[in-house]
Amino acid sequence: MKSFALVVAIAAELCAQGLDPAALLKPPTDTWPTYNGDYSGRRYSPLTQINKTNVRTLTLAWAFQTRSSTLKTTPLEVNGVLYFTAPDHVWAIDARSGHAIWHYNRPSEGDHIGQRGVAMYKDRLYFGTPDAHLICLNARNGKLIWDVVIADVKFGYYLSVAPLVVKDSVIVGTSGDQADIPHFLEAINPENGKIIWRWNSVPKPGEPGSETWPDAESMAHGGGPTWITGTYDPSLNLIYWGTGNPHPVLAGIGRRGANLYTCSIVALNADTGKLAWYFQPSPHDTHDWDAVETPVLIDAEFRGKPRKMLAQASRNGYYFLLDRVTGEHLVTAPFVPTDFASGLDAKGQPIPDKKKEPQLDGSLVAVAPGGATNWMSPSFDPQTKLFYVNAQRGFTLYYLDLNAKQQVEGHQGGAASPLWSESLLVAFDFATGKIRWSRTEDEGRARPGILTTAGGVLFTADAAGNLLALDAENGSVLWHKYPGGYLDSSPMTYELDGRQFVLTAVGDVLYAWALP
Amino acid sequence: MATSIRFVLAALLALVTCVLAVAQGSAERGRAQFAQTCGFCHGVDANGGAEGPNLMRSALVRHDENGNLISAVIREGRPAKGMPAIPLNGSQIADVVAFLHKRLEESDRRSPRKPDYALKLLLTGDAEAGKTFFFGAGGCSKCHSPTGDLAGIAKKYAPPDLQAHFLCPSGVAKTAIVTTSSGERFSGNLFYADAFRIAIKDAAGWYHSWPRSEVKAEIHDPLETHQELLSKYTEADMHNTFAYLETLK
Repeated sequence: MKSFALVVAIAAELCAQGLDPAALLKPPTDTWPTYNGDYSGRRYSPLTQINKTNVRTLTLAWAFQTRSSTLKTTPLEVNGVLYFTAPDHVWAIDARSGHAIWHYNRPSEGDHIGQRGVAMYKDRLYFGTPDAHLICLNARNGKLIWDVVIADVKFGYYLSVAPLVVKDSVIVGTSGDQADIPHFLEAINPENGKIIWRWNSVPKPGEPGSETWPDAESMAHGGGPTWITGTYDPSLNLIYWGTGNPHPVLAGIGRRGANLYTCSIVALNADTGKLAWYFQPSPHDTHDWDAVETPVLIDAEFRGKPRKMLAQASRNGYYFLLDRVTGEHLVTAPFVPTDFASGLDAKGQPIPDKKKEPQLDGSLVAVAPGGATNWMSPSFDPQTKLFYVNAQRGFTLYYLDLNAKQQVEGHQGGAASPLWSESLLVAFDFATGKIRWSRTEDEGRARPGILTTAGGVLFTADAAGNLLALDAENGSVLWHKYPGGYLDSSPMTYELDGRQFVLTAVGDVLYAWALP
Repeated sequence: MATSIRFVLAALLALVTCVLAVAQGSAERGRAQFAQTCGFCHGVDANGGAEGPNLMRSALVRHDENGNLISAVIREGRPAKGMPAIPLNGSQIADVVAFLHKRLEESDRRSPRKPDYALKLLLTGDAEAGKTFFFGAGGCSKCHSPTGDLAGIAKKYAPPDLQAHFLCPSGVAKTAIVTTSSGERFSGNLFYADAFRIAIKDAAGWYHSWPRSEVKAEIHDPLETHQELLSKYTEADMHNTFAYLETLK
């Protein structure tokens, strides 16, 4: 009894300023302890202090200059401390005032295109690097605890994903799309960095899914990166994650078939990494349409019955609603005009139109150059029952690139000419995909994520860089501010000492907004 | 002083150019050497051949720095895997190493390249049908003329650029007429517009800006028709129109 009390006391001490993984099982109310705020990925906060009636008075509380590169991170907020990142950098700052607590810097080789954030387990932080290492830091002081290699940077692997803590494991996915490499998800032991399980996006010959590839050589090109943080349903013990494109990226001629499990949404057992079900938004992708976008978990009534669902606004321009227990398809609806599919198959997956695959003489496809959406986080508001996504529509010319021997040339296997595109924020009914309202921004590309709150306010930015607070019901502007740059990340919110803050990372500066 | 700095800069530039040229030359010699001694097994592009693996997927090749790993494999072979020692001298090995690193650069691509295709690959349309579209359904002749603004257009642009450019031209400014609440009118090229602000540059080159909510703004986009056409072209229209424009040399 005494020793039990001692264990409890030690555990309490350990987590006094840290994060007990059990706390993540209950959706947080005033903190933001994971990349998406909670396991559902809906980026909806129950906070109401800042609301429709007063958001027009929103003012700057503080700003933090990182003097680094563009911030693509969502900070965590745990016990009054913010933890956030840029490639090679982690900062801990005071969530009340913006004052620095510590800064960790580890220069590295590899792709520095983006870093989305850390994960926290007890008193430790987990951080992926451009040279594809996973780093464990002491959250008190930013000191290194361990450093393990997840993948080989010389093959173009890097880690941009914010890891996800699930029970006693840290889930991490890989980035990299310049060479023939297979991608994967790994569950890592938070204590020592050892692998608990690994799930490969592309099967080996003879494994399930290999029947969707013509041969071993086509599978050897790899693909299926896992570069956006997934979601988790504790009651089903399933992790949901999206995977990226197959290789060669734009040339499908050597890999006829669906090319599982690339461009897929997969449900994996959290303890074993075993595949429970999959759904493929882009079978046989030839346009680089990663299906990595956040698989958002929605518990609501669907056609009169309560249902556990999963929703994704995918890079190919389609919205998918699935039953997340079984993977059964419920809804497929385009959220921007697109013409790459000749129809839907029995599972509700788009059937790629051969004519719209990249061609030697060019193929004109109705989609913006980077796809219909991308890494920018969507949001689901259970009050409005609307799903919100920052999207692009437009047109791109895609070419097939063959060498003199009529073989695919290089990793891309194709070329592209971007034509016209414009950004728009789309709000649609989660249960039907029917668009309720949309807000056309302008030509160009908006890359901000979205936050919704119980105060009825949607926070995001437009293609010109203006930070926006919109009425989540109808999209009308309640507040706007030009911050002198672009929001290339997703806003987040928390409440401390009775004051709600909304954070936006613009350029390399973190701005905190609050009521006066 | 300025002269000596210029001299140093010129010498540095010459040195860099020289080093690059040597590296380039080495890689080119290595390409021929590789094809001759290694190509049968590994393929002339090192992408894999009759017996040997694709070297673009080799960890040893990717971790090599200036031959520190590759050289030994060439010299000693890999008998256990059936690769014999290759009798190359030091400079030949250096050339092969340079070639393999060059091949990694060529093979690894993060994003689709710009098309630089030969015209014969792109020219699959029917120029006559394109001409009919130009003067008919496409409505192109309402603004353009093959003997006027488009005369010699095929000489001005490389084929893939012409294909992208006729579908979606750029570089033609939008114009705007802005009327303030007091009734004053300003006109000029649109400099900036978003949901909250609008700015123009007038004919004299002066900048003016207003809150969007306080003025009436009429924006004219001369390229609007091109955007509208993007959703109307069939693949045949696109290829035919391109084929017709390619006749305007």
